[in-house]
Amino acid sequence: MILEEISRNLQAGKARDVKALVQQAIDEGIPAQEILEKGLMDGMNVIGAKFSKNEVFVPEVLVAARAMNQGAQLLKPLLAEEGVKASGKVCIGTVEGDLHDIGKNLVRMMMEGKGLEVIDLGTDVSAETFVETAKNENCQIIACSALLTTTMGVMADVVKQAEAAGIRDRVKIMVGGAPVTEEFCRKIGADACTPDAATAANKALEFCLAAQ
Amino acid sequence: MKDIVPIRKPWAGTMTARERFNRQMHYQSVDRCFNMEFGYWNENFREWPLFYENGITNNAEADIFFSFDRIATVSGVNWMCPPFEQKEVGRRGNKIILINRDGLMAEVMASGKDTIPHYLKSSVTTPEDWKRVKEEHFDISRPERKLDIEALKAQHPEDRDYPLGIDCGSMIGKIRDMLTFEGLAYACYDYPEMVEDMVETCCRLVEYSLDQLLGNLTFDFASGWEDICFKNGPIVTVPFFRDVVMPRYKRIRKKLDQFGIDIWYTDCDGDVRPILPYLLEGGINCLFPYEVNSCAHPGELLDQYQGQLRIMGGFDKMQLGAGREAIRAYMKTLEKYVARGGYIPFCDHRCPPNVKPEDYLYYLDLKEKTFGLQA
Repeated sequence: MILEEISRNLQAGKARDVKALVQQAIDEGIPAQEILEKGLMDGMNVIGAKFSKNEVFVPEVLVAARAMNQGAQLLKPLLAEEGVKASGKVCIGTVEGDLHDIGKNLVRMMMEGKGLEVIDLGTDVSAETFVETAKNENCQIIACSALLTTTMGVMADVVKQAEAAGIRDRVKIMVGGAPVTEEFCRKIGADACTPDAATAANKALEFCLAAQ
Repeated sequence: MKDIVPIRKPWAGTMTARERFNRQMHYQSVDRCFNMEFGYWNENFREWPLFYENGITNNAEADIFFSFDRIATVSGVNWMCPPFEQKEVGRRGNKIILINRDGLMAEVMASGKDTIPHYLKSSVTTPEDWKRVKEEHFDISRPERKLDIEALKAQHPEDRDYPLGIDCGSMIGKIRDMLTFEGLAYACYDYPEMVEDMVETCCRLVEYSLDQLLGNLTFDFASGWEDICFKNGPIVTVPFFRDVVMPRYKRIRKKLDQFGIDIWYTDCDGDVRPILPYLLEGGINCLFPYEVNSCAHPGELLDQYQGQLRIMGGFDKMQLGAGREAIRAYMKTLEKYVARGGYIPFCDHRCPPNVKPEDYLYYLDLKEKTFGLQA
């Protein structure tokens, strides 16, 4: 019951209520993983599905993600104690020459809502940084964002450098942003281009689970 | 302005630009399509030999260089007065950290490369902040908000031959600029009364400008700017837009109606479809410079809202960058909408530098051949 309430309040963006309910659930002895999966992630899944169907838009996703974050902060140490591991690891960033980060942040939030560990490299990220991070941190996914037609080309460099670094067979490369199309994704040899942040998170989870 | 030698002749025609614009936007017959473009990225002026070899450094000069039909807009002081003082506050690697004129701390490329700044922090996050900023920057009685009507009348005489617009500002886009994208989303949820007061303030400032201008000059259209949608729809909730923003549009529309101004465009990027019914209900009946990739082919909306919606723009910049065959194919798809009226085609936003200048000239030639005066 309380987990449903957490999910419902998260969908409504009620961060303070979500935080209080998560604390209550912890106090009641519900395992952190269960609170995460059946409360917080359930709520984000509902919001993500509605977002993909254009039933809600970015503001609703942002406030839901903020609520998720408030609850997740309480769970983090408990999840570590319980030995719960993330479903996968992603490094995400906006490509070199581009400072736009709204789409990238949305994808990050959605991925975190799926239980993935996300390393946010920020904006203006070089192809080298993406590849080095993926290599050093054992990421299963590199996710690149671009808003400008003039910076999309960096995504092709990421693919090439991942190949050169010998990690291409164990790292999926996802690309996204307003000018990025499936055709472009295929052309540069990336693995996925999704229409929105929620679908990107689903795809990332699918890739990570397949890699296990 | 410096002397500019046009490289193209104006398109031949039998009407004035003003007559043509008004007839075209009212679905009436015209001699030929209104010929305009929205402009170019700053990088084009540095990178296109076509521009730098001919000394063309900005969009106003480019309009003359290509002999486009003239179109102009008069604006009041519809936003902060005075604005925040823009200043550099630090450097981080290849980026400059600055406080911009909207009071936002932002990160920009030190190289001057074209990209929207990365916003770090707003000056307004709480109602207390807003109270202070409102008093300091949104005082409606500032003398600078009084317009020099006589000078504007001299600049835009009654018998002018070009269409003149009246700027109806922004009801929510500039607020987004002040609060940041995420900040606006959180503020709508945490402090809805504060955001509504911001929208009301914007509306009053626009009304104050309109009261000075309407009746003193004659206008052919109204214009505005919001930029409040992106690839996945609006950046404010649809109920917020319907209940808070749209009623203010209606107030402005009422004033425009009193002076016979029935065309009102707004610049709104992205997927506008979820809020389009409310834009129309509020009185905005034209989209400019309609963005294709984040929404749909302009024909899709023109078909759906036939007779209600006009579009300016909508020539897919991705196709413009894809070479002549793509340009030809896309131009073909616009023919029936130009023929129907209520649609003026041009590149959807500023033309980016990845478009080859020779392809751009081809596009201009083809546009004239397709939509210019027919023999």
